[in-house]
Amino acid sequence: MSIVRRPRGTSSAVIVYVIILVSLQVFTVTVAVEAFLTDDEAIAWATAGVSVALAGMAAAFLRYLRR
Amino acid sequence: MTADAPTPLWERDFPYEAAAEEEVTRREFTRYLVLGAGAMAAGNVGLAVWTQLRSINTGEPRPIVALADVAVGGTYLFRYPADDDPAVLLRVDEQEIVAFSQKCTHLGCVVYYEAEARRWHCPCHEGNFKATTGEVISGPPTRRLGRIDVEVRDDGQVWALGARP
Repeated sequence: MSIVRRPRGTSSAVIVYVIILVSLQVFTVTVAVEAFLTDDEAIAWATAGVSVALAGMAAAFLRYLRR
Repeated sequence: MTADAPTPLWERDFPYEAAAEEEVTRREFTRYLVLGAGAMAAGNVGLAVWTQLRSINTGEPRPIVALADVAVGGTYLFRYPADDDPAVLLRVDEQEIVAFSQKCTHLGCVVYYEAEARRWHCPCHEGNFKATTGEVISGPPTRRLGRIDVEVRDDGQVWALGARP
């Protein structure tokens, strides 16, 4: 089994990307609550879609993180 | 430091074992972040489903007041859709009437009509809304006033048909 060596800077970049994605998630939560309070179904579903996509991207970045 | 060196006094009094410290790796830290992102995504989907499925009480059609009892340019206070929901009707001219929820969309203070400026005014934080549409003119509110559909029926009564956010 080959071990892929990635430079240490890659790990830091991945963490920064994931932190940015999680910050965007916090923003989407506020938008979702606002859509809920105003009963705006279109924005609520759009926000949910974006949120799931962000979570998927964050999970994908985890693969590139060195152990 | 050699193995047979005596243990310093400070280390006997305050034993600090670095090896026993639980270390959080970058990967673990990131995994927690990803789990948090997943939880927030699940919450957002849940909110969307809740928004889709819930039914807001928009009120049942009911008479409010006789149109003849409201002067042109005058207002009439009533409760709609529930008894604890203050609402206000404005007779714009002979033909046109509009009605809105009286709750300011900022923090829920009661708005009142300023005839000179032809606007709804919230005295709490100086929010202003257009008289006929309820749209925000100025101030901290970001959403228009809640609208109440009204119509005048053949017997001259003004009926509230339903409330909209």
